[in-house]
Amino acid sequence: MDKRKTVGRLLTLWVILTLNFALPRLMPGDPFLHMSGESGDVFTTYTREQADYYRHYYGLDEPLIRQYGHYWWGMIKGDLGYSYAFKQPVSEMILRRLPWTLLITTGALLLSLAAGTLLGAWSAWKGSRWQDSLFYTGFMVISEIPAFLVGLALLVTLAAGKNWFPLSGAKTHFMVYENWWQQMGDIGRHAVLPILTLGLTRTGGIYLLVRNSLRTVLTKDYIRTAKAKGLRHRILMVHHALRNAMIPLVTRVAMQLGTLMGGAVLAENVFQYPGLGTLMSRAVTARDFPLLQGVFLVMTLGVLSANWLADWLYQQVDPRLKKNHARRQKGGVS
Amino acid sequence: MIHIQELSIQYNTPTGQVTALDHLTLSLGPHENWGVAGESGSGKTSLALSLLGLIEPPHQVTGKIQTAWGDLNNFSSNELKRWRWREMALVFQNALEVLNPVMPVGRQVTEPLRESQGISSREVAAEARRLLSLVGLETHWESAYPHQLSGGMRQRVLLAMALACEPKWLVLDEPTSSLDSLSHQAYLNTLQELQQSLGFAMMLISHDLTVIRQMTDQTLILYGGRGVEQAPTASLFRSPSHPYTAGLFNAATDLFPYKDLWGIPERVEKEVTDSCGEAGVSDEVYGSDHSGCLFFKRCTQSRISCREKPPMLQMIEEQHLVACHQGGLQKVLVGRQLSKSYQMGSRKIDALHPTSLYLRHGETTALVGPSGSGKSTLAGLLAGWISADNGEIIFQGEPLKGREAARREQGIQLVLQDPFSALSHRLTVRQAVLEPLKINGIGSRDTQEKRLVDAMKALGLRADESFLNRYCSSLSGGQCQRVAIARSLVMRPRVLIADEITAMLDVSTQANMLRLLKGLQNSQGFTLLLVTHDLNLARKCADRIWVLSQGNLVEEGTAHEVLVES
Repeated sequence: MDKRKTVGRLLTLWVILTLNFALPRLMPGDPFLHMSGESGDVFTTYTREQADYYRHYYGLDEPLIRQYGHYWWGMIKGDLGYSYAFKQPVSEMILRRLPWTLLITTGALLLSLAAGTLLGAWSAWKGSRWQDSLFYTGFMVISEIPAFLVGLALLVTLAAGKNWFPLSGAKTHFMVYENWWQQMGDIGRHAVLPILTLGLTRTGGIYLLVRNSLRTVLTKDYIRTAKAKGLRHRILMVHHALRNAMIPLVTRVAMQLGTLMGGAVLAENVFQYPGLGTLMSRAVTARDFPLLQGVFLVMTLGVLSANWLADWLYQQVDPRLKKNHARRQKGGVS
Repeated sequence: MIHIQELSIQYNTPTGQVTALDHLTLSLGPHENWGVAGESGSGKTSLALSLLGLIEPPHQVTGKIQTAWGDLNNFSSNELKRWRWREMALVFQNALEVLNPVMPVGRQVTEPLRESQGISSREVAAEARRLLSLVGLETHWESAYPHQLSGGMRQRVLLAMALACEPKWLVLDEPTSSLDSLSHQAYLNTLQELQQSLGFAMMLISHDLTVIRQMTDQTLILYGGRGVEQAPTASLFRSPSHPYTAGLFNAATDLFPYKDLWGIPERVEKEVTDSCGEAGVSDEVYGSDHSGCLFFKRCTQSRISCREKPPMLQMIEEQHLVACHQGGLQKVLVGRQLSKSYQMGSRKIDALHPTSLYLRHGETTALVGPSGSGKSTLAGLLAGWISADNGEIIFQGEPLKGREAARREQGIQLVLQDPFSALSHRLTVRQAVLEPLKINGIGSRDTQEKRLVDAMKALGLRADESFLNRYCSSLSGGQCQRVAIARSLVMRPRVLIADEITAMLDVSTQANMLRLLKGLQNSQGFTLLLVTHDLNLARKCADRIWVLSQGNLVEEGTAHEVLVES
């Protein structure tokens, strides 16, 4: 990898981590005025002495630059700190929640990719017939609706209305599973609505991208070449058309991972799903700096590494961008 | 055999219908090599695509392509799949995106094989290497991507790809346009070798006429989607008969490497005559809203009647078809068995032994030979200035009677070697140039004045009063010769015979003079007979050369044949 890219990435990382440090401290409010247990509990109110004690205890009375130093030192050691509100190590809390978020984001990603690609390909193949126009308009509208609205709509109709799916949570409380597939089924049933919510709002973008990209690709000379060769329709569509049309999709999906995370936060809160999103909203209400920083950190690292992965993947799917293939011929055009 | 009958292709684009091919009829024999030439946009590529059934709705194909399996335009999609690549393959015009950018070329070459014959992937890989080496590429290129290849290599990959299923027919669309001259020749050699070993028939589409001359047996010239000339390649290159073909040949740089370059004018500035000889130039005449000959407005020999209906291909010689209402380039002036002898006291000198020759419309013919070979005599005979002892001269289909053709418009004009003696020194420039019009009573005063000014301008002379009133005796040699030519041009000749007109001029003036004449010819379309002893001059200017020696016509042919091949 070339030097400039590496430096750029390190710089991005530094800026993000610094923002991560600064943002909670810029928020109005004080962690020790809000220190409390679960919502609904009786709020503990601290006297000024007590608050000062805690401030000192957690090092918040130190100069900012020293706090910043501690923050970095902790991160390097892999220690994300200790939650003010929950009196637990932040890393443990995050690790407990992370799988749930991963479950619904991956699920939503796969769902939107599959649905978007299939419908997009079908729509492009139909050309400018009515099916295409219908889907096009439909998805244009859907992709503009915010995720939490879709979530609420699903909640009202499919969960509250029809009672097909549970209203909230990731699994049934206090349930003792007889076997692992029963457990899987329960978890799956709980994950359906969050995944649908997140997935549906993603599908529009992917559908539009695949459709437009494929429509462009279908006019290319190499498609005509493939047709002239008498190839089967499936080979033509998959190896020549889709394979080329998917190239821009790779970047698009990676770029959208950030918004997918954002969507997950909202969706989790709608469905009270015990992922990072709900944890984050708790941390915000409690002004729980270490927890907030920890959640931010994990999310941004996730998005960043997804972007880097996409960068690498992009070179893999498009041989024209591969650097290790030395240009053997001077006349080659990139 | 493949019989193409009345094939038309229409592209339906958002901005309207475009006819790419118009009622084309053609028969391709199993071992024949066809060449298809024409300007860009003449329908060459559309023809190639239609042979593989690649013109799809909303575009329209009508007519028939009769193959051994029936009409290609009625093939089911399965028949079409089997026809493509296995019976007929296409070497696409080279462009970066003609190959899939994300698939290694080896795989693209053998892809059709994978489907059809159910061979193992190891065999396929071996076949890829075999095909690449067949077209002269090293085998390690099989894993390269298209962007890593040079244009020439990509051209070879395209060829290897087309040969993968050993088709019976191979269409090549502009195979050499992306190659430099060295790889160009190497590519054609490869192609010829492959044809010998694999035995496919070819259709070679190219705007490069040398390629067509080298590689093909039959040639089709397309113009605006219509076939305008169709003939055995040798015959076509010997005498291109459609005005368009002739123009195309004039514009080809490599066909006659020494010759000067002239494009086909977009619109010919001339008076179009109808059959009664009435003349008129107007935009109405040039408008494209007629169903007649498409080449009408660029053609120098067209008549009003050419606009009435489209010309059909008709045979003018064995196997030589031309679509022209005038039957191709007319033989404007034909001399048959002309001979002339002079009596010098008791001795009889044979200046010209029986000689036959012809001049075609719009062509420049050079009559070369050493002095005393009878050039001027022949020139005089053809102009009607000297009467022949024997033989006859046919001018535009009718026998020439004395100097009659020199006295009328659209006739024959002769310009002589020595301008000083050709122009009376007592006349002013105006009088000298207008003399033929006045004597023959042609045109009103205004018309005469207009023609005078036009002719002066065309020849790069000043047309102001002070120059027109100068006496001819005060002019320089170059000016004098141009005035003499202007005097011929006011008669709007069909044939201009120039007898050593540059002999008395310096090199620079000579070059200017000849460029002027060629330019005028290119736009007005008269026939030029250049009598000269200067071979280099002939090579530079002439389409066709006749060589005279001691009163005999010893050689004739295109400039290339006479000066390069012999």
